[in-house]
Amino acid sequence: MEERMRRVDPKLLELLVCPLSKGRLSYDAERNELISEKARLAYPIRDGIPIMLISEARKIEM
Amino acid sequence: MGYPADNGAAIRPRVSIVQRQSIVELLFDQSLVEAHRARALKSGDRSAAFLLQIAADELADRLAVIERHFDEAVELHGYTGQVAERLMQTGKIGHVTRVETVADQPEMIAAPLEHVPLAPGSANLVVSPLSLHLTNDTPGVFIQVRRALAPDGLFLAAIPGAGTLQELREVMLAAESEITGGASPRVIPFVDVREVGGLLQRAGYALPVVDSDSYTVRYDSLFALARDLRAMGMANPLLGRSRTPLPRKVLMRAAELYATRFSDPDGRIRATFTIIYVSGWAPHESQQQPLKPGSAKMRLADALKVKDS
Repeated sequence: MEERMRRVDPKLLELLVCPLSKGRLSYDAERNELISEKARLAYPIRDGIPIMLISEARKIEM
Repeated sequence: MGYPADNGAAIRPRVSIVQRQSIVELLFDQSLVEAHRARALKSGDRSAAFLLQIAADELADRLAVIERHFDEAVELHGYTGQVAERLMQTGKIGHVTRVETVADQPEMIAAPLEHVPLAPGSANLVVSPLSLHLTNDTPGVFIQVRRALAPDGLFLAAIPGAGTLQELREVMLAAESEITGGASPRVIPFVDVREVGGLLQRAGYALPVVDSDSYTVRYDSLFALARDLRAMGMANPLLGRSRTPLPRKVLMRAAELYATRFSDPDGRIRATFTIIYVSGWAPHESQQQPLKPGSAKMRLADALKVKDS
């Protein structure tokens, strides 16, 4: 139950884009993050809430 | 020195960077805006939510008369969420997602004020209650919202406009210049209703409608007003604000001026809040269109029933 609570609603994912690049997001289930490849940022999901704040996002090294 | 052309080439990229930054004049410190909202929300003081409730009722009235059902609605930075709740009560909305700078409940999304994190064409209704007065790039937000709307989707907004806190602005300016011999911006500039109309059209909305209402709120003193403003998350977020604390003497003088200039016979002071109500549609072929020039089937003179001279 607790695990399911933390997961993000798939319908919410369809609604969202990266606020910076407006590009598509992919969901990384392992880290529970939303990945914006264009902006090279990973947005965290906390308690099922996508945190689409650039200040909170993790930079992805590629 | 002998190669002016080279110099020019070396300078040019720098110039272009400067221009890109200055396209939008930055007025608000966004991190401070977010901090004020977060602090106010956390304090749980809902006594100042009356303005949001007025906006909620007004927006709900406007939504209720539209013969349409909106499956996916998004509330952008609705603060307490009472606008989303009130709009749901109209029965015109299937599902609402709340976007806020601080998200603490499920079905919410945390996002900054100026970046709309919504996929193109993903929403049928976007509502912005009392938050678009704090954005640096308001035209940009209008455009982002239009892209997020599905064709024939509706954008509804309530924006604090020109006239809001005009009394406070006047007495702060007078008190500060009188005591310190100078003045710094204490009250944010608010947008004019005509400018909002122009913005809507420029952002590509069809059938734009803009109007405004002014509300007078009475307080015991300037201090009670200031307390409410803080509870609304409306403390001064201007980048050009003075970084030194306001001297107590200035504040006392401002309160005195407020009481002499803008009070009712019973001693209570008046504060004006003007709210601009905005609606615009994402274009769709089913909407009424102007006819092509020259396609008229009737003479204008006949339609107006005037005699040719």
